[in-house]
Amino acid sequence: MTDPNAAPEPTHAPLHTVSRGRARWHRGLGRPVLQRRADVVPAAQAVAFGIGIAVALIAGALLLLAAGNDPAQVYGRMIDSSLGGINSISRTLLRATPLALAGLAVAVAGSMGLWNIGAEGQMMAGATVAAGFAMSAGDLPGPLLILLMLIAGAVGGVVLMVGPALARAYLGVSEIITTLMLVEVSIRIVEWLETGPWKDPESQGFALIEPLPDQASLPGLFGRAHIGALFAVALLVAFWLAVSRTAWGYELRMAGSSPATARYAGISLQRKVLAALLLSGGLAGLAGAIELTGTATRLDPGLSNGYGFAGIIVAALALMRPSGVAAVAFVFGAVQVGGQSIQTLGVTSSIATILQAMILIGALVAAVLLNYRIRWVRPVGHEPETTEPRAQPTSSGTSHPGISPNPGASDV
Amino acid sequence: MTPAPDPDSSPELTTSFAVDLRGIRKEFPGVVACDGADLSVRAGTIHALLGENGAGKTSLVNVLGGVYLPDGGEIWVHGEQQQFHSPADAIAAGIGMVHQEFRLVPTLTVAENVVLGSAPRYLNMTQITERVAHLAATYSLDADPTRPVWQLSVGERQRVEILKSLWRDADVLVLDEPTAVLTPAEAADLGLTLRAMADRGRSVIYISHKLDEVLSVCDEATVLRNGVTVARPGSLAGVERSDLAQMMVGEAAAQVSRPANQPIGDVVLALEGISALSDRGIGALHSVDLNVHAGEIVGVAGVSGNGQKELAEAIAGLRSVTSGTVRLLGDDLTGASPRARSREGLAYVPEDRLGVGLAPHMSVVDNSVLRSYPTLSRGLMLDLRRCEEFCESLVQRFGVQVGRLHEDVSALSGGNLQRLLLGRELTGEPKVLVAAQPTRGLDVAGIAAIQKQIVAQRSAGVGVLLISEDLDELLALSDRLIVMYEGRIAARMDPTTTTRAEVGAAMAGGTATAVGGSA
Amino acid sequence: MSEAAIVGLLVATVQFATLVYLAGLGELIAERSGVLNLGVEGMMAMGAVSGFMMALATGRPWIGFAFAALVGMAVAGVHAVVSVVMGAGQVVSGLAITIGGLGFAAFIGQDAVRQRADAVFTDLGIAGLADIRWVGPILFNQPPVVYLAGFLGIAAWFVLNRTRLGLALRAVGESASTTDSVGHSVTLLRSGAVLVGGALAGAAGAFLSLYMAAGWTEGLIAGRGWIAVALVIFGAWRPGRLAAGSLLFGFTLALQPRVQTFELSIFGLEVNRISPALLGILPFLLTVVVLIGISFRARHRPSPAPAALTLPYRREER
Repeated sequence: MTDPNAAPEPTHAPLHTVSRGRARWHRGLGRPVLQRRADVVPAAQAVAFGIGIAVALIAGALLLLAAGNDPAQVYGRMIDSSLGGINSISRTLLRATPLALAGLAVAVAGSMGLWNIGAEGQMMAGATVAAGFAMSAGDLPGPLLILLMLIAGAVGGVVLMVGPALARAYLGVSEIITTLMLVEVSIRIVEWLETGPWKDPESQGFALIEPLPDQASLPGLFGRAHIGALFAVALLVAFWLAVSRTAWGYELRMAGSSPATARYAGISLQRKVLAALLLSGGLAGLAGAIELTGTATRLDPGLSNGYGFAGIIVAALALMRPSGVAAVAFVFGAVQVGGQSIQTLGVTSSIATILQAMILIGALVAAVLLNYRIRWVRPVGHEPETTEPRAQPTSSGTSHPGISPNPGASDV
Repeated sequence: MTPAPDPDSSPELTTSFAVDLRGIRKEFPGVVACDGADLSVRAGTIHALLGENGAGKTSLVNVLGGVYLPDGGEIWVHGEQQQFHSPADAIAAGIGMVHQEFRLVPTLTVAENVVLGSAPRYLNMTQITERVAHLAATYSLDADPTRPVWQLSVGERQRVEILKSLWRDADVLVLDEPTAVLTPAEAADLGLTLRAMADRGRSVIYISHKLDEVLSVCDEATVLRNGVTVARPGSLAGVERSDLAQMMVGEAAAQVSRPANQPIGDVVLALEGISALSDRGIGALHSVDLNVHAGEIVGVAGVSGNGQKELAEAIAGLRSVTSGTVRLLGDDLTGASPRARSREGLAYVPEDRLGVGLAPHMSVVDNSVLRSYPTLSRGLMLDLRRCEEFCESLVQRFGVQVGRLHEDVSALSGGNLQRLLLGRELTGEPKVLVAAQPTRGLDVAGIAAIQKQIVAQRSAGVGVLLISEDLDELLALSDRLIVMYEGRIAARMDPTTTTRAEVGAAMAGGTATAVGGSA
Repeated sequence: MSEAAIVGLLVATVQFATLVYLAGLGELIAERSGVLNLGVEGMMAMGAVSGFMMALATGRPWIGFAFAALVGMAVAGVHAVVSVVMGAGQVVSGLAITIGGLGFAAFIGQDAVRQRADAVFTDLGIAGLADIRWVGPILFNQPPVVYLAGFLGIAAWFVLNRTRLGLALRAVGESASTTDSVGHSVTLLRSGAVLVGGALAGAAGAFLSLYMAAGWTEGLIAGRGWIAVALVIFGAWRPGRLAAGSLLFGFTLALQPRVQTFELSIFGLEVNRISPALLGILPFLLTVVVLIGISFRARHRPSPAPAALTLPYRREER
């Protein structure tokens, strides 16, 4: 059907010095391709978490060896101090409580596919509002004061989240960045309070905030642990019930899993986004207030202590599931307590931080490998069935006889 | 109709093919898309790849384009066997693909999109722009190289895709249903461009199921059915469209029986002068008036992108109307929420069944209760046992084949997804059913089941609005037929007296008065 | 306010701007390829401590600086493997690197804490120009890294806008599948961008430990990595605007330790009563404001944010 009288090919052809047949060195080696496994490993995430712990322990041991420490001794001390006996477990619970609450806060947003990266800041905001309340209402009896402080804490977390939540729901602004930015903001506000408005007049040269009233201290549970641990468990259960057993939770899951389907069914995405983010912020604020009333005598900029950021890792490892949050928070609490304890052996507590990060990295990689198979794709011509000798198949010169200045030439 | 040449018997012929696909097999979990498909394209021709939805056309060309690794068969390009492990391999071998979904970067300019992947090491944009403009002019492809792609219309974007292939010196251009998104004028321009390419010795593989278009544009054709090549009619000169249609559907073409006439009831859905904007903020519906009565099926025909989607969404409450009223059973529901409309008796089967109608990563149970979960609650709590029972009864009643009720719904096949979706929408005993492309991509059994349900709803006195691109389906099922063109109702026809050709003419923008009965 | 105080402020502004510009440029390159790197803070810490220790060992700041870039790159390699090759979550991977990097830096830097640094960068004092009043000390008597940062900014602009590689990088940040379909390797492009970003973050850390602080302590980075993340947004993902933003952010950073010594009144507000802590909030608040402004504008045209940011890519997931 070609027209032999067609105009000859115009002069654009020489332009294509371009890429066809260009040597691609990486192609010559083949490349790995991830393929989803058909057979799903049961409880894959738990297995991945276990692998992550193993990877972290091995890598940590190598580090310790390199630094001239005895890994067995260090790990022994870590385990003993965090899990060996009722007192040790109480210390672990003391740490696991803020981790679980922050992890829960992140998981609430995460169950809708949102990232609350600012739990650290909301904890700080919650603690700040709670402390402010305690300073102005220090005469109240203990239980009432604490209850109101916890509410104030939740309010503080919500207040810091209002901006990101509204921006996300109505303007589509990524909550990842806005929540992250507000972390630094809230920490610096506490620094400012410390040096100025709330400065303890008795602290003289030191920048310290006024101490909390004596009765603003959460009752103990056992050992070092306080009843905040019970709050954490209760909230985890409540969240699990809310998400998996209520119509509200169903809508939340639907909106998070498939926004278009939710919209189609008449579920308001904006309201769900607002609810998830504000609830997340409120829980983080509550975590801050619990940490304040449970462990601190006064507000200080170091109160949140990285729990908010660690909570993100906790929630991610738990795949945003409440039961997972509890388990991972407990493990991380133990690692942190262990990290503190080994300082007496002359080992820096930073090993605990390294271990936590390594657990996550190890688990992330393990989770991918459990769900995907790595297939090495060999380049063209390397397959056994096509080994017959012939010209380089993908090079331009040989494989393109079809383009010719004279269209008639390729007519058959 | 010439018999298909056997490529293995004559090696000389083989080498003269620009593209020769032999016995291509491609499986997806649960589906065999291609089951030994052959395609031989001579250089310098426009070759139609025909077949019904789901015949394996797209999978076959995706194998040629390096998108899918084939599970069997051979790919020969200009007499050399090739193994494509990535689109890059196919590009390097001179295969240019224009997918239905364009592969363009909206924030980059036309010129940047064209040269992406095969640009010179250092970009001299003035020079590149000039060359792209020159290339575009050569093939009468109207496109301003300096404009960012996000500003372009769909037709313009398609031209950019073709330019991309031409820039790479693609010797074989594959177009997957290229005119589905084009206006008739744009489609005509496309035909000229493709002819210009063929005249310069390049080859074009043209996927379509629009037979008239194929006959006017293409030189040769290959027909696929159920993943197998069933006919290669060689030259299309003198071939009748009815012959092609017969090859596509085969002997055992599933014929839906026209439902018996029945008296229609009151108006259940009334649209009065509704207008709406598209996602891009352009007018997509212009003063559409339409009544649907109880117990009738109103078919909506039209080339995709002429306002059908916006029409369905405006009725369902997913798209706000800029003017006009939507009445359901006489009540003005113009501003009502989707849920309120659903409560009033509107059922809507959206075009995207997985992703809109069903949430892919939620369980079968969770998806089945999407309309009724408020009634399956006890106080604040959802009654999980009743949800499961509800799901089980739905699955049984509509013959949905499922493994476990708590597995992700995305594990279901297309036909079962649609049974579940339609079943869910029908459980509330709706008064109005809006179904968009309900049988698209389904197998024969699936199509029959869905069509049977739709007819059953009509018998039960439901007013049905059936939006479809399958003309045969529309002609067989509808009591009345409207044709959408550029956001307006271009024609109202009586399916019993109308021919496909008349509908086709109206779909292409022919005048409404010229055809058929009134509605 | 004395001239010396103003000059001192502006000299420090340029240096702080350099610090956040180097790290921000790295973040920008990674984000333009579609990878959010929240590990900058950790990479900077690793660069700071390793660069400082290497300079202590060799006595040459440049060797320490280059080593810091390599270490930053190695740390970024973890992010590349986890989030690009494996396609796991970018957000959590980056955070883990920040947390782990800070811990790791503290661990290996135990012995380096408060060591006296002899091998640090010195001011370049460009002959003839450095003595000019005002301009000389601010622009022509800075450490070499300042000029290197300027050069790297121009180079990054050139690569992004005038080369095939840059076009591919911009494209892969907008749509990985499109870029894949034209034959570019998404994995290589993104991994490369993350690695380069890590090198720049490591170098920025070394600039801190080898010049600005001239030493290493735990907590040296003090949120400057987060400022770099903010800066990329403030700079609308463009190297040029990033430079302008870095000067503004650098100014607030330089002002913080000095503000209470300034005796100056603007519209009745006495500058020395401004809290340094509140001043430190400014970059983050400005970034939030810019982000919201962008979203309003994005109703009419595409957002300057790379469309594929934080989206992992795997081919043919069927």
